[in-house]
Amino acid sequence: MPVVTLPRTAPARPGVPRWLRLVARRRVTVLGAALLALTFAVGALAPVLGGDPLRMDVSARLASPGRAHWFGTDDVGRDVWSRVLYGARLSLIVGGAVVVVSSLAGTLCGLLAGYYRGLDNPVMRLMDGLMAFPAIVLAIALMASLGPSVINVIAALAVVYAPRTARIVRGSVLVVRETSFVEAARALGVGDGALLLRHVLPNCLSPLIVQGSFVFAAAVLSEAALSFLGVGVPPYVPSWGNILAEGRLYLQQAPWLVIYPGAAIMLTIFGLNLLGDGVRDLLDPKVRGLI
Amino acid sequence: MKTYLARRLLALVPVALVVATVGFTLIHLAPGDPASLIAGPDATHDDIRVLQHQLGLDAPLHVQLLHWYGRLLRGDLGESIFLRKPVLDAILDRVEPTLLLTLFAMAIAILIGVPTGVVSARYHNAPADQALMSLALVGISVPNFLLGLLLILGFAVGLGWFPVAGYSPLEYGWARTLRSLVLPAFALGFVQSALIARITRSSMLDVLREQFIVAGRAKGLGERAVVYKHALKNALIPTMTVVGVSFAILIGGAVVIEQVFNIPGLGRLIISAVLRRDYPVIQGVVLCIAGVYMLINLAVDLAYMLVDPRVRYQ
Repeated sequence: MPVVTLPRTAPARPGVPRWLRLVARRRVTVLGAALLALTFAVGALAPVLGGDPLRMDVSARLASPGRAHWFGTDDVGRDVWSRVLYGARLSLIVGGAVVVVSSLAGTLCGLLAGYYRGLDNPVMRLMDGLMAFPAIVLAIALMASLGPSVINVIAALAVVYAPRTARIVRGSVLVVRETSFVEAARALGVGDGALLLRHVLPNCLSPLIVQGSFVFAAAVLSEAALSFLGVGVPPYVPSWGNILAEGRLYLQQAPWLVIYPGAAIMLTIFGLNLLGDGVRDLLDPKVRGLI
Repeated sequence: MKTYLARRLLALVPVALVVATVGFTLIHLAPGDPASLIAGPDATHDDIRVLQHQLGLDAPLHVQLLHWYGRLLRGDLGESIFLRKPVLDAILDRVEPTLLLTLFAMAIAILIGVPTGVVSARYHNAPADQALMSLALVGISVPNFLLGLLLILGFAVGLGWFPVAGYSPLEYGWARTLRSLVLPAFALGFVQSALIARITRSSMLDVLREQFIVAGRAKGLGERAVVYKHALKNALIPTMTVVGVSFAILIGGAVVIEQVFNIPGLGRLIISAVLRRDYPVIQGVVLCIAGVYMLINLAVDLAYMLVDPRVRYQ
């Protein structure tokens, strides 16, 4: 009778990476990835699938959805279908850029604060101060000073989300710093820079990736909220938040101005949340079945 | 306990300092200097210089910053450029709807979130749990302003049960105020209820695995007593933290929801200030909200200490 039970791992199949098989095992994660892929496809193919999102047609103001305009038109006769497609593109650009910028800045601050004891207090108090503002309120205030533009939305949201990433990275660094392999590397004479980048940072990546997926969702939502409030991207830019802002004014005559961009936001955020949950479970050794 | 309280209060000082500095930076980030903004487009060069001197803007930056701290300590938030009255007065005029909206939304979030989480944990992995948690995941995917618009479409435009927008102040009777806030508070609170449900469920599941629960079951306690009396009390501690965080998120969300429902609160004040480039008002509202946020976090920490004696000895 065997006394040792081997871990339940599928036999290695050539060609399919292990992590991909782990993802494929969870149907909700696949659904999330599919929704996100749909948004990406729609955003990338916007010029092919839709028409000009800026072309006004005053003879077709607030036209209801039909063959000429699948999602209807807005108050100046712009095609809502095209605007929703280009809105996907904008949401993904803003979301992606905010993730990249806030992760870089947050990781840098988190690494420095976690590794150098002298920097911990000043850097983290600054982060605490920035986190003492509700995210959307700080973003509004920054947009008031910077002025409406896509770049400024990205900058403002990066400032808002970087401290949250910094706190998470710092937490992991504090743990990794005390491990024996870091001590060994230091004893071998590895410099601080190489130690941080080659030994500490790679071991903090899991929480960083999970955080990135949630920052992506939060950034897409915040961009929509800022534009909806009229302090995000300029009004002519096709953004889901901008379409909803117009929709608010014509709620009774033209509900399609709310329903279609609204559905687009919901599906994208839903996909990102499913994917985020899936990635979190995937990177958690307890759930993955390794421990 | 006293040392804990003192330490918490002391920890607030550097954070408050950063918050004040961020507030100061906001106005200096803006293109053009504040004096020419306040003076308006018709002002001459000399007018602007006089105003700069009056406002102390010709002093070195660090002197200006120290003056700014001093003013904040005295509760002086400056004067609105557009409204021509002290910022503090403008804020106090608008605080009622925002406060009531946030509290109402909080109540909705807790009343939906906690029972949902408890039921989900009790029927762990059963269809009821899966259905509720899927609903919660959908819940956190709906932006509050979108939910607000959909609620207006359904319950105000469609069914006509509630006013489409607007706010009835308390002086016209609380029942009317409450009715005008039902849809906005629901739009605001629903997303948070999903968050609270998820946390309550996971902390309930943790507690239900603890030994004292097993002991309770072993001595023959009914399922109800185990779940609602012994487990719930302990599971509510992490939930409380989330409620504190939620409250802070709700204040931010109220800014957006007020715009959807035309509620004349702090959110409308800050948005109209942004559109008029009325920087002192923007600064004032942002600082007030951050101040409230910090006090709530402090209150949550202190409540934590009262509920969980282990915290006191840390």
